[in-house]
Amino acid sequence: MLEGLRAAATGMTAQQQRMDALSNDIANVNTTGYKHERTRFRDLIASPTGLGGAEQVGAGAGAAAESAGRGWGQGVLQTTGQPLDVAIQGDGFLQVKLADGRTGLTRNGSLHIDARGRVMTAEGSFLQPPVTLPEGMSASDVQIASDGTLAAQGRPIGRMVLVSVTSPHKLDDTGAGVYTTNAASGAARAAGAGTTVAQGTLEASNVDLGDAMVELMAAQRGFQMASQAVRSQDEMLSIANGIKQ
Amino acid sequence: MLAEQTRQDLISHDLANASTPGYKADRTITSSFSALLLKDASSGQPIGALGLGARIEEQVTDVTPGPLRETGEPLDFAVQGDGFFAVRGANGARYTRDGQFQVSARGGLVTASGDEVLGAGGQPIRVGPDGTVAGTEIGVTRLDAAKRAGDNLFTGTARGASTAPVRVGALESSAVDAVRTMADMMGSLRAFEAGQRVITTIDSTLGKAASQVGGI
Repeated sequence: MLEGLRAAATGMTAQQQRMDALSNDIANVNTTGYKHERTRFRDLIASPTGLGGAEQVGAGAGAAAESAGRGWGQGVLQTTGQPLDVAIQGDGFLQVKLADGRTGLTRNGSLHIDARGRVMTAEGSFLQPPVTLPEGMSASDVQIASDGTLAAQGRPIGRMVLVSVTSPHKLDDTGAGVYTTNAASGAARAAGAGTTVAQGTLEASNVDLGDAMVELMAAQRGFQMASQAVRSQDEMLSIANGIKQ
Repeated sequence: MLAEQTRQDLISHDLANASTPGYKADRTITSSFSALLLKDASSGQPIGALGLGARIEEQVTDVTPGPLRETGEPLDFAVQGDGFFAVRGANGARYTRDGQFQVSARGGLVTASGDEVLGAGGQPIRVGPDGTVAGTEIGVTRLDAAKRAGDNLFTGTARGASTAPVRVGALESSAVDAVRTMADMMGSLRAFEAGQRVITTIDSTLGKAASQVGGI
């Protein structure tokens, strides 16, 4: 008797989850290297309906939403003119060493130099393998070639490794635009020749604000529809209760 | 009333899935139980038919295609026209219209729940080194007696390959028609209410019979 009520409620929960993902996207419309989240809906398994229908008639149990990873589409490149800003073009990530010793992957190429000349990301993770600027050199002396080779005043000082994974949808998200690999995503391997870096630019967030707003409205209407179904089910129960005068 | 309750449950399920890609709405066929013929016990003269109520006799999945929505994702696919994608999972062959696929750690094309997507010859599909798959590589099967199996999958009888093209970078939206479903919901609610009235009327008739027959 209460299955329909629950089915309608799962629809509301699923739309709520989609709205949460969209709000996060909209909040990150200006985050460098951000990739929009994807939500996937699926219908829940059907169960027999009891006396109201024949044996083969099954009422579904509603809908569920789950994360389907991120949309990895290329973001727009923004020219900043900063020598340590790099944008990745094509599939792939910069490899960094996280504070806990694990290897992280990121597309945020807003790099800095610490007091000892080591190249690090905006969150404070060092490139892996590490790259250190020779003493007396400053950021403005650095040239970065499209294959990731770093040079200071013409002398090579290291290379930023570009890696990709087989299944980027399954990467673990550690927040701050840094991902880690797992068994489902496959191990990191050298990125293909199509992946290059561009010095002096940053990759903008790939959230399309227009799309996100339309999606948000669709989610809101979906939520409303499911809530109407809850109301209708509730009214039915109240009518059933009215049988006893 | 029970039939309407069940119908309402099905409608709730449809409305909950208004955003599920490749979702197909259900149509229900309500029919009455076979009627009994009432006869006068002493004279044997027929009085008329007595209905015993109704139930949902059949549930048909309406496979009308939903509108396609551009997503721009390289691994989103939609069948333009008739037919289903064939997938192979732990439970054997299943069919789906939800083309939101992913690449597995071993480089194969899989559904979000990890079932292998099959090509025209029933073979698994490998994702190219550039992370894309051509729409022509994916098999589209015609399906008879499609029946929902949960998780956006269907079971049914495969009836050979379909010629419907596969569009890359698009998903099929849910085929739930919001207006029609809302109208059905309201209609069903009122039918339920009418059933309740019948019960209360019979109840009050019986009440009168019990308390007033024999009274002066």
